[in-house]
Amino acid sequence: MNPILTMRNLCLTLLVCFASATVAFTQITVKGTVTDGTTKEPLVGATVQVAETKKGAITDNSGAFTVEVPSEAATLECTYLGYQAQSIGVGTQRSIDFSMVSNALGLTQVVVVGYGTQSKSEVTGSISSVKGSDLQNLPVAGASQALQGRAAGVTVIRNGGAPGDGGSIRVRGTGTINNADPLVVIDGVPSGGINDVNPNDIESIEVLKDASTAAIYGLRAANGVVIITTKRGKFNEKLSVSLNSYTGTSSPVKTKDVLTAPQLAELKRERYTNDGITVNPIWEDPQYQTQKTDWQKELLGKGHTSNIDLTIRGGSQRSAFSISGGYFREDGMMKNSNYNRYYVRINSDHKINKWLTIGENLQLTRQTGTFQNTSSAQSGILWSAIRFHPGLPVKLADGNYSTAQVSGEFGDINNPVFTADNKDDEETRHRVLGNIFAEIRILEGLKFRANFALDGTIYDRDEFAIKVTNQIRQNTVNDLNRTYSESYSLLNEYFLNYEKTFAKLHKLKLVGGLTAQSFRTDGFSAGKSDFPNEDDKQRVFDSGRTLDYINGTKQNVNLQSYFARLNYAFDDKYLLSATIRRDGTSRFAAGNRWGNFPAFSAGWKISRESWFNDKGLVSFLKVNAGWGRLGNQEVAPFQYLALINSTRRYSFGNTQATGASLSRVPNQDISWETAEMTDFGLDLGLFENRVLATVSYFVKNTENMLLAPPTLGTIGRATIPDQNIGAVRNKGLEIELSYQKTTGDFTYRIGGNASFIQNEVVSLGDRKFLSSTFYGRPNQEIARSYVGNAIGTFYGYQTNGLYQTPEEVASDANIKNDPRREQGLIQPGDVRFVDLNGDGVINSDDRKILGSPFPKITYGVNATAAYKGFDFTAFFVGVGGVDIYNADRMQGIDPTYPFNMYAETMNRWRGAGTSNEIPRMTTKRNNLNHRTSDLFLEKGDFLRLKNLTIGYTLPAALTERMQVAKWRFYITGQNVFTITSYSGIDPELGYVDGNRQANVDYAQYPQARTFIFGTSVTF
Amino acid sequence: MRSFLSILVVFGIFLTACSKDFLETNPYGQPTSDQFWRNADDAVAAANALYEPLDDEDYFGHNEQTFDICSDDFWRAGDHGEDQAIEEFTFDASNDQLTFSYTRKYEIINRANAILLNVPNISMDATLKSRILGEAHFMRAFAMWTQHVVYGSLPIITETDYRDNNFNKPKATIDEFRAFMEADWKEAARVLPATYDLENIGRPTSGAANGFLAKLYVHWEKFADAITAGQKVINGPYPLAANFADNFTIATENNPEMLFAVQSLEGWNVCEYEIYTTPRPWGGWDFHEPIQDLVDEFEPNDPRLNATVFKLGDIVDLGGSDGPTEYVAGLSQTNYHFRKFASWRTSGGLDENQNVPLLRSADVYLLVAEAKIRSNQSGDAEINAVRARAGLPAKSNCKMSDLIHERRVELAGEIQRHIDLMRWDKAGIIDLVAHYAKDRGQFKPARTFQRPKHYFFAIPQAQIDLSNGVLTQNAGY
Repeated sequence: MNPILTMRNLCLTLLVCFASATVAFTQITVKGTVTDGTTKEPLVGATVQVAETKKGAITDNSGAFTVEVPSEAATLECTYLGYQAQSIGVGTQRSIDFSMVSNALGLTQVVVVGYGTQSKSEVTGSISSVKGSDLQNLPVAGASQALQGRAAGVTVIRNGGAPGDGGSIRVRGTGTINNADPLVVIDGVPSGGINDVNPNDIESIEVLKDASTAAIYGLRAANGVVIITTKRGKFNEKLSVSLNSYTGTSSPVKTKDVLTAPQLAELKRERYTNDGITVNPIWEDPQYQTQKTDWQKELLGKGHTSNIDLTIRGGSQRSAFSISGGYFREDGMMKNSNYNRYYVRINSDHKINKWLTIGENLQLTRQTGTFQNTSSAQSGILWSAIRFHPGLPVKLADGNYSTAQVSGEFGDINNPVFTADNKDDEETRHRVLGNIFAEIRILEGLKFRANFALDGTIYDRDEFAIKVTNQIRQNTVNDLNRTYSESYSLLNEYFLNYEKTFAKLHKLKLVGGLTAQSFRTDGFSAGKSDFPNEDDKQRVFDSGRTLDYINGTKQNVNLQSYFARLNYAFDDKYLLSATIRRDGTSRFAAGNRWGNFPAFSAGWKISRESWFNDKGLVSFLKVNAGWGRLGNQEVAPFQYLALINSTRRYSFGNTQATGASLSRVPNQDISWETAEMTDFGLDLGLFENRVLATVSYFVKNTENMLLAPPTLGTIGRATIPDQNIGAVRNKGLEIELSYQKTTGDFTYRIGGNASFIQNEVVSLGDRKFLSSTFYGRPNQEIARSYVGNAIGTFYGYQTNGLYQTPEEVASDANIKNDPRREQGLIQPGDVRFVDLNGDGVINSDDRKILGSPFPKITYGVNATAAYKGFDFTAFFVGVGGVDIYNADRMQGIDPTYPFNMYAETMNRWRGAGTSNEIPRMTTKRNNLNHRTSDLFLEKGDFLRLKNLTIGYTLPAALTERMQVAKWRFYITGQNVFTITSYSGIDPELGYVDGNRQANVDYAQYPQARTFIFGTSVTF
Repeated sequence: MRSFLSILVVFGIFLTACSKDFLETNPYGQPTSDQFWRNADDAVAAANALYEPLDDEDYFGHNEQTFDICSDDFWRAGDHGEDQAIEEFTFDASNDQLTFSYTRKYEIINRANAILLNVPNISMDATLKSRILGEAHFMRAFAMWTQHVVYGSLPIITETDYRDNNFNKPKATIDEFRAFMEADWKEAARVLPATYDLENIGRPTSGAANGFLAKLYVHWEKFADAITAGQKVINGPYPLAANFADNFTIATENNPEMLFAVQSLEGWNVCEYEIYTTPRPWGGWDFHEPIQDLVDEFEPNDPRLNATVFKLGDIVDLGGSDGPTEYVAGLSQTNYHFRKFASWRTSGGLDENQNVPLLRSADVYLLVAEAKIRSNQSGDAEINAVRARAGLPAKSNCKMSDLIHERRVELAGEIQRHIDLMRWDKAGIIDLVAHYAKDRGQFKPARTFQRPKHYFFAIPQAQIDLSNGVLTQNAGY
């Protein structure tokens, strides 16, 4: 026997004896409160008891308790589900407050899985769980943004920082070139629309990452499953009202330095002189050589973000409810870019009788947003601000906006402030997401549940383009376009849950049932033009003189499924899980509609073995492994049918004619994509589980990936159907680590996660590569997906500096057979491209893969600390080992366009030895110096302090007098600082063109730095 | 409780499993192909669809005209990165300009093939049926003509190939390619009506088919056939418009001289070429600026110059608040823009009813003249007809140089010049290498035309790669 343990037992025994002895003499009354150490929320229903006597009390609605303690030598223990137990010696104290440390990543935690819940320690697959409290009161529009960096293997990629932009969630890499978004399940309803949910209403988010946990959602689970559980009232909970509000401002983190007006004129003159062309007189005109405007500063001003919400929560013996509602508004840094959300949520549960419980969830949201075009490299608004002439004022003396109409030399860019001021493009979404469920207890351990849900969205986009005649890019007829659609999904499902432990050894959990869901959309779009009056009140269809078009669409797809899952644990040591889902979908031809999606996994709690007694260091150890098959059906439906488009337009004289022709070639054999995933996991608890680690390794093979096969141009333009010919592999390692400790009043917790995921295209059928959208005006190809490499690798030329002298040009082997050299088309100051295929000519055969948009590592670190009334949170996110293709810089230093350029262009080549990086000034594109090449490839690594929060909770003694249970103030910063070597405005860049291109800088809406001040009051 | 439970379960199973048709959902809005080709309406709709690709900016909305930047008539201007290499003959087979219209041409061919396969089986009015089949023949040959002048020859996709999914074919020889167009246009000329009512104006007539036959024969150097086909146009109901400018004026753009044109109807189907060719500050995108060399070609007092280009000092009515506006330096780099393809509404803004001419009787007159001169006959009558319409004095004993001059000024911007120059070079009438080696200033410097490589553009490299060796590249690329 361990002598130390024996000694401790002896001491305890003595203590108990002593304590018992004193009982008769004194009774001490100790009062106090129990609160969450991080959020300072009172914990209702926590157990506080005297360790020695096991007598105690339950905290009331304000978290307060009163206990009688036998003596000053006694110890008070506080326990609460989901928190670490705490003990405090009474001593002379008569008031003891417990600041509880949550078991956020703790092993006793219960996690939500498909059609049920599970204890985290019994999970045999990979689930990442994020507590709602981590997502509270961040100045972000939705939960997906808040999820960034919170869980290993879960990446959230935002394409810029436009208000309301939620970004894309990717679970365990990019599983397909098609829709790779995970299935989102909100309170049991597969629904999508994660950003409609107020983050402050979220109890937890679980991400089912591996096949064994996700397979219960079969055909829709290949990209992972995100389960959102919202907060509910508890039975027997005193009514509480909390009011929560914050407000703050955002500002640009960085702008791009561009040439001043005199510098621009100097370089423009130089480009003509170099080419031996007469300098356009506009560049000699002194009025355009006076610096007037920093267009980026004019465009990017202050933004505002604010939120207010109110929650009423409580429950009687038989009914519990939670009602919340609020308003979120984000006004972006750019004028006329904003996002608003009004929301109401009502969740309730009712115990009708002993065997029947009925409950509901109802969410109503109205979201509106106005968006600026920040993606086009022809007219994008930040793109324009970088390039608009700096010698023009925002407005002229006559009050009109300045314009590049002054000269064709100023480029075809409209005044970006004019564009921003006149933007009228609003999207509105009304959504109802509701479900009613009934649970019937049939026998001990056997429950039946029925769930009916409606998820309906009304989408409306209203866009008015004013008549523009005083700018260079004109719109000679104003027009109004409106797109309206209603989509709704109906779900009904029935399933049985059975849970029983036999002979104290065999723990069995079974769930099985059937579900059917229909999805319908019905929409129209219309356009009218020629509005004689552009007044706001006249921007309705009735005022337009010409009908441009009316289109209407409808779609209905259905899904019908059966599912079952078995969880078995022997002696809480050996765990087994088996899942099967059978899905039928109406998207494919009759013979290809039904599929089976099985999964198996097993786990072994090694630390539960009797021979495992290293309990001092390793307190918990579990390994698990699993395999399963999942599906992805999110591609255009009905591709098995040949379709005729009968809206082809042509005219004969003044007669409108309509034509019809084949619009799609059919593929009878089309079916879903499948993903087979193998998963290995290890859970480790150290030092009495103060340190918890989860390590997982997975291999996910996506097969039958849908791709349109290579198509000969001789087929014409009918859409070629997808075929199940592609394959992608994602594999990687995920680590989640947490440490928490309480020392007296000081509590801290640090959690981190890191993912190392490799993405590889395994097959593209007969295709050599997949191309993607070309960039901007030069129509440059930037990204290609090749077998054996990641999706969307950057593809272009390799360079080797600039030619410094005519001799270097004349003797360069790279161009020894290139006819352009003899024609004098390659000059010193031009880029030396590398002749990769050795034919002595630089042409498109000399391109190669330059880099990858997939980071080698993605990580997040969250540190929280609490001391007395203060709380502190710092949350970092970062990526490493990733490339960015800086396409904006490609044009930013290109003198062949009539635009302003980056300030660094001052360091251009202007004679031997002056620069080896920035090519000479010229109007010629003979050498295509600025084509896609490694000159514009940059490291995209960054570490960003995403959130920093400092909060203070007023002492209970003070707030009690105001009859306030809790009152907290806080300051939060978002994107506080960023460490990166990336030269562009923002290294956080997202997807363009589906998944086929990422991390390409198009001068997207940059992320802002936001600071908010907020307060939460609970009564 | 148990009855409640069983009700629920039964209800549930009824809702889900028992609805056998639950997974039978069909697309809305577009019929499937087996619901088509039922009647005359479907046949007419299929014929209408033959023309739909024409107005696209990747076809006659810009792309086909861009092949003519190789000529000595106009500078590319604009901001398309790929254009410089085309203009200066430094392009390779991966140049984007080569790809834009590639699939659009085959789309027309396949729409025609679908008509030729399916319409014969429809029971409908015989006259209408034969017109529709004639339109299909005409348009298939027309699309092939636009392939021919760019690539020389490509795979011929017949209705049988279309039916049998036989899309990976080798290139035909140039003679086979020409013979195929000849047969189609001959059939079209046989069955198509000579004229149309107002509701169908713009569909190809037998005159249009004969006009293109004349053009094909001149390129083929079958001069007798060219004269025969061309005379049918000259003697047909296709007189030259009273004024040259009528052809480019919206009110009169569908006059009888206009044998075939891309129709543009504001608010319905719009051909954007006018946006490409007009100055930025006037609502356009500033492409294809005529150069001084073209302007200098016009004889003094030739009214066609004013109808062809905007020049400094011209007053142009832009309508709306702008009204009459002077064409000034700075609107263009060459100091010219094409006027042929531009009109403004009285209320302001570019008028989108501007058609793009594809074949005019004047072109056929000059083709007949060329065929005659090159077969040692007199082409004076046809050349003088064109000159007389322009109010210019008649010439006599016209030589090829007269014809070359007349074609240039009459057809500037109508995608003829580069093709004409190559035809004359092949026949030894001019030396195109020397012609293009001439430095015409900043906007048309000396260029290296390689003979015979540059007689044809390269077939898009992507198509060569996709064919797995079936489709071979043109020589020299």
